[in-house]
Amino acid sequence: MTNKDQIVTVEVTDTNGSTFTLREICERGDCHAEFVIKLVNYGVITPLQELPEVRQWQFDVAALQRLQKALRLQRDLKLNLPGLAMSLELLDQVQDMRREVNRLNQRIRQLMG
Amino acid sequence: MDFKDYYAVLGVSESATPEDIKKAYRKLARKYHPDVSKEENASDKFKDVGEAYEVLKDPEKRAEYDQLRKYGARADGSFQPPPGWQSASGFGGGGYTEADARQFSEFFEEMFGGGRRSGFSGADFGGGFRQSVRMRGEDVHARLALFLEEAFNGCEKQVSFTVHEVDDHGRMMPRQKTLKVKIPAGMREGQHIRLKGQGAPGVGGGEPGDLFIEIELAPHPHFSIEGRDVLVTVPVAPWEAALGATVTVPTVGGKVNVKVPKGSSSGRKLRLKGKGFPGKHPGDQIVVLQVAMPEQHTPEAEKLYETLAKLEKDFNPRSKLHV
Repeated sequence: MTNKDQIVTVEVTDTNGSTFTLREICERGDCHAEFVIKLVNYGVITPLQELPEVRQWQFDVAALQRLQKALRLQRDLKLNLPGLAMSLELLDQVQDMRREVNRLNQRIRQLMG
Repeated sequence: MDFKDYYAVLGVSESATPEDIKKAYRKLARKYHPDVSKEENASDKFKDVGEAYEVLKDPEKRAEYDQLRKYGARADGSFQPPPGWQSASGFGGGGYTEADARQFSEFFEEMFGGGRRSGFSGADFGGGFRQSVRMRGEDVHARLALFLEEAFNGCEKQVSFTVHEVDDHGRMMPRQKTLKVKIPAGMREGQHIRLKGQGAPGVGGGEPGDLFIEIELAPHPHFSIEGRDVLVTVPVAPWEAALGATVTVPTVGGKVNVKVPKGSSSGRKLRLKGKGFPGKHPGDQIVVLQVAMPEQHTPEAEKLYETLAKLEKDFNPRSKLHV
């Protein structure tokens, strides 16, 4: 059987789904734990529960993606942490607004028949 | 091979100072960064800008490039390096820490002995090194657009993506991978599916990476989504709105009959419990009523409206506008 024919059973990760420890998220992001801790302190990414012991932190896929985005932005645009935090926040706002505009445009089209 | 005009890519003149080049690069890198820009081909433009800067920021490489530009370009826009060309400032090692060599063009490789042939940013990935290093494969993130019905009912989809893997010669090569994936029912926009071990293969016996698929929903002509709820606008006749009626309403899962309460105005919302997105906590469908008029009335119907107008003359639909 070739890869093309292979049918893979998937695991859905929502809030109850699979999560990553600090160590795992560092390994996947190829970065140091200090960097992730700083991002958490700046509110750029958030563990599912803010527990005092960092070893107990768990992150979801969205946090992993955000970490990887932060790493790319830092590498490519030479952003420092406060700049990174603000850029990601503004990018989130832009994305939310784009989604809202799309949703409203869709509603308008539906209402106009 | 096509000639790459790095000056045009950065939008600077041949006589631009290193400061001008840096300024132009920074501005364009921000503009086309794939995490920032929604422009089509932003990722390609970002790579071009990075490649152009990699050459023009380095005085030695820039001088070499200027020479090539002068003697190598042909009238038809194609390009042939002068015979016996070899870069003195090549990419064998050092000075190459930030940009990803795998991403650069054929032109760049030909001119400056780029990354694809020399493996990992100049590091020797062949021989002993490969065997002694254990590295987890890269995770791959992909997006998959589904129609609402597909997301609702679950479906089987073919997903294609690129992974980078080390070939027999120790070179990092891109490979197109295709998988058939069973998407479970009830996936919503922004949710992720994780396929364990389907990312890039590990190096030296390291674990393979995972494939993460983020779900996107294509806009539907009738339904829109708010969280787990599905919204639909349903037109009703004036008499159905006035007298109440049982009307047939579409849901993503099929048609259902709904009781429109007597005296419903346009914009009234009816909640159909559990008819939204399926799952542990299924959403609802929200029906928004919209009173619709026939395009034409018969003279008899117009007479009836006139009678109605007389009977309801105290009703002011514009009272909220104070007119």
